[in-house]
Amino acid sequence: MENIGYLFAVFAIIWIALFAYVMSLIRRQQQLKKEIELLKDSLGR
Amino acid sequence: MKLAEPRLSYALLGLSFVLVTVSLLMIFIVVPTEATMGIIQRIFYYHVPVAWVAFLAFFVVFVASIMYLWKRDRKWDTIAAASAELGVVFTTLVLITGSIWAKPIWGVWWTWDARLTTSLVLWLIYVAYLLVRSYIAEEEKAARFAAVVGIIGFIDVPIVFLAIFLWGTQHPSPVIFDGGLAPTMLATLLISLAAITSVYFLLLLRRIAIKNTEIELNNIRQLHD
Repeated sequence: MENIGYLFAVFAIIWIALFAYVMSLIRRQQQLKKEIELLKDSLGR
Repeated sequence: MKLAEPRLSYALLGLSFVLVTVSLLMIFIVVPTEATMGIIQRIFYYHVPVAWVAFLAFFVVFVASIMYLWKRDRKWDTIAAASAELGVVFTTLVLITGSIWAKPIWGVWWTWDARLTTSLVLWLIYVAYLLVRSYIAEEEKAARFAAVVGIIGFIDVPIVFLAIFLWGTQHPSPVIFDGGLAPTMLATLLISLAAITSVYFLLLLRRIAIKNTEIELNNIRQLHD
């Protein structure tokens, strides 16, 4: 079981990084939705 | 764009979930421990697929960039930009996971070995690609410049792959092609490869969808102004 810390670090980093990337995509999508709503409002719907 | 249809995204989400679960079960429960390196060798089952997906992402950038310069159709630029971003994410993971694997095996986090150095250069090329896109204000010009970087930058991909054959390197050569893997190990690698590839396509579709919304929003703004 030597080096098990390195092994778990690798798998944790991969999934945390991909999760963070997904979260950044969700944030960008939410921001765009907000901007679309603002634009709709300014156009008087 | 047809590629960004939600139904395909949901199908890929389901497929990725199943493949990732199976791959993790294979890596941590089914596959035998490698005799020389021990438990740390299990990093191989994600390190190699992540590297393969990074190459795939840059290949997509290469093809989409050629198509953009040829057809001048914005959809190719959108695909190239989305794939380049993912390629950088996956190359970052290759460099980090490789470094963590190197520490217990080679005794160092990093060495200026040919495979490692060319991989770092690859990462820098596509970071430059993303910077070109963000720093040039005129969209058409940014797309054109980025396409050129995307095509020329791809030259480094075969160099990274062939580095272990061209120069003396500490990095092991591919065991997949010379039959050096036990059947269970090969099955685990292939399932992990399918899992990470599926995750790449899922993220690519979502990134393309966001990019398309950004373009539409800009078009509406321009009409409004």
